[in-house]
Order: sequence, then C-alpha cells, then structure tokens
Amino acid sequence: MSDLKAVLNAALDCVVMMDHDGLIVGMNPAAERTFAITEADARGREMAEVIIPPTMREAHRRGLRRLLDGGAPSLLDSRIEVTAQRADGSLVPVELTITQLDVDGPPLFVGYLRDIGDRLEAEERLRASRMELLRASDEARRRLERDLHDGAQQRLVGLALTLRLARSEVERDPVAALALLDEAQQDLASATEELRELARGLHPAVLTDGGLGPALRGLAARLPLEVAVSGIPSQRLAIDVESTAYFVVAEGLTNIARYAGTRQAQVAFDLGDGRLAIEVRDRGRGGADVHAGTGLRGLAARVAVHDGTLAIDSPAGEGTTIRVEVPCAS
Amino acid sequence: MRPFLAENRRVTARPARHDGHVPRTVLIVDDHAGFRRQARRVLEAEGYEVVGEAGTGAAGIDAASRLAPDVVLLDVHLPDASGFDIVSRMRTSSVVLISTHDRQDYAELTSNSGARGFLAKDQLTGTSLEALVADE
Repeated sequence: MSDLKAVLNAALDCVVMMDHDGLIVGMNPAAERTFAITEADARGREMAEVIIPPTMREAHRRGLRRLLDGGAPSLLDSRIEVTAQRADGSLVPVELTITQLDVDGPPLFVGYLRDIGDRLEAEERLRASRMELLRASDEARRRLERDLHDGAQQRLVGLALTLRLARSEVERDPVAALALLDEAQQDLASATEELRELARGLHPAVLTDGGLGPALRGLAARLPLEVAVSGIPSQRLAIDVESTAYFVVAEGLTNIARYAGTRQAQVAFDLGDGRLAIEVRDRGRGGADVHAGTGLRGLAARVAVHDGTLAIDSPAGEGTTIRVEVPCAS
Repeated sequence: MRPFLAENRRVTARPARHDGHVPRTVLIVDDHAGFRRQARRVLEAEGYEVVGEAGTGAAGIDAASRLAPDVVLLDVHLPDASGFDIVSRMRTSSVVLISTHDRQDYAELTSNSGARGFLAKDQLTGTSLEALVADE
C-alpha cells in the first residue's frame, strides 16, 4: 500500500478522488501543484466548487446524479479534453479520465487529469506557423504575378504591338520599320532579362547545380554591394538548408542595397554542432522595421519550418544584423 | 457624323479622314507609360486621334470628363482603382477594358461592368477596337 501511495505521490499527472456526494476525498501532490490548493484544504469540499469552472458545475452535478440513479455513464473510462479551474479562478486545459473504483459500499470515483496547456500552446504555435507559411507563400505568388505583369508581360505586349506596326510599315517606310524592329529587339532583350531575373528569384538554378558558394558569388556580383563572405561550407548541405541559407542572404543583401545607405556588407557562415548559422551584417543606418516587410516575414516562416531561429538586431545608426540558425547535419 | 460623338466636347475641329469620317477620339488610361506610348502609336497609325493619357483611375475619370473622348481604353489594374469599378464614371458609353490577361479571364467581370468589351493588350489594333465600338 505504501508503494502505491509513493506511486501516486511521484505521478506527474493529477489524481483526484471523489465520493458519491461529489466531495473530494483525496488528491496527489501533482493535483495540489496544478490546482494551487493543498489536499488538506480540498478534502471534504465539493469537487465541482474546487476544480470545475462555474459554467460547467451544473452539468457535472447532473452527470453524477444520473450515474448514481443507474443511468449510462457518459464520461467514465474515456479521455476527454476539458477546462478545469485553479484555486485562484484561473483556467487550465486538461485531459481528463474518470474511472469508478470497485469498492464495497457507496461508489468512489477517481479523476486523472493532465495539464495540456503546454501541448495546446505548442499546437497553436504550430497552427500559427503553418498559417504564416501559407500567407508568405500566397504573398510570394502575388508578388510574382505583379512582377510578371509589370515586367515581362508589358515588354511582350509592347513587342507584339511594335512588330505589328513594323509589319505595316515595311513597304511604305522601310527605314521606320527598321527602327521599330530595333525597338522590338530591345524589348525582347529586356523581357528575357526580366524573366531570367524572376526565375532566379524563384529558385536559382546555380544553387541546385553548384551549391551555396557559386550561388552566393553570383548573387553578390549582381548587387551594387561589396560583399565579404566567410565560412561558406565546403561540402554540399541538404537542399532545403541550402535554399534557406541562400534566401536569407539574398533578402538580407537586397535590403542592405535598398535601405542601409552603405555599399559594404558581410556574410558569415558557421557550420557545426548540428546547425548552420548564417549572419548578414552591415554598418549602415540601421533602424529596420522587421515587421514591415513581407520578405522578412516570409523568411521567418521559412526558418520556423526548420525549427530554426531568426534574430534581427537593427539599432538606429549602427547597422543591421540578421542572424539565422537552422539545424543541419554537418 | 457618328451618333455617339458628344455634343459638348471640347475637341471640335478634327481633321476628316480620307474616307470622310471624323476620326474617333481615344483616351488611354493605363499605369504603364510604355504601353500608353505603344497604344497611341498603334491607334494613330490607324486613324484614331488619341486626345489624352492618364496613369491612374482618378486621373482617367478627370480626363474623360474634360476631354469627352469617343472611346476610353481602360486598364483593369490601376494603382488606385479596378477598371471594372470605374467604367460608369468615364462619361462615354464606349469604354473598352484592356489587360495583359486574356478575354476569358475577365469575361464575366467585363459583361457586368457596362464596358463595350475587352481587349487583350497584345491584340490592340485599330481594327480590333473598331469591332468593339462600332455602332450596331
């Protein structure tokens, strides 16, 4: 018997025993901690008053009466998720199982309760993270549509109209037709370059073919920045890690080129201890509003998928540092 | 005289085309200056008179009110408005919606908008425009 008592005392889950009048006859230390009440204070009080929120008490009492009158047990021997109440009135979500003890005399009931607040919070974080990922994905699609519409599509429309004009001028004014064809060629070159740029933004082929080193050197060469890169991993990493690393650096450097008011940037990688750390830093004007840009929000969602971390430090006048760590087998 | 010419237009003295028809006047409302330039060139080469250009919905409504063009070419995506929503404010019964997207994408919205029709931008010619705005 003392062994069983020790088991109850050591249990992480709450155990609360109730008699046929609905009064508490005992609880273990986990229940005392969870509901912020001592067993001595709780014993002899109606359980409904001690751990059940006011809005649910009547239902509990009705259920107990129905059970004692020989009705079918609705909650016995199953796991349900309900809200319980602490002594201070605060609510706690719990998973609850109720069993009826096989004893002589009036029945005794035991409730086993597990605080699932942490689990529900984790589920909520997961849901929020998924939603953020969906939003970021939708936003990226909208941005792509806008970029296509405002860029290459307009060029191609112009090209179609110019070619049609040129055709109509060929016989009447060949010189004018030639000038129109030159214009069409320029429009075509611009459309090609814009499509190339868009394709690279979606996923740079060089990253798949050559890994982070060539992809980042190509990225740096196209930006109006002097970029010092250090610590690029010498071996290939998982493609999803390489992609995230690439887009962290691409977003960081693009923001520096646009907003930082400096032409110098540093990118540093550190691979080890099962994670890849990526830091993009400048010594420009700082003061970045990390919540304003969809780019950074998208990055945060992407990093969250890896169970990684993203931190941005951007004090006014002191530059901006983006630091990302993602788990990575090295 | 074509019946849809507004009587109170400011543009009164327009040259007659060789076939004796007065050229239709057109207002181009599109936020892409490059397209406006191209469209003007295409239409003027086919005898239309482009009397104005506007880069936003508000500027388009204002220009349509001042210029009373025979036809408004109205982009469906403007920075400050959807073209579908401002057709009725264009002070002409001949509004033709234009877009880089194609006709099928916008068939329902176009028919509900009160516009005469829809032209994909790359299909714009004087002939295709005439087919939409000519009197029945």
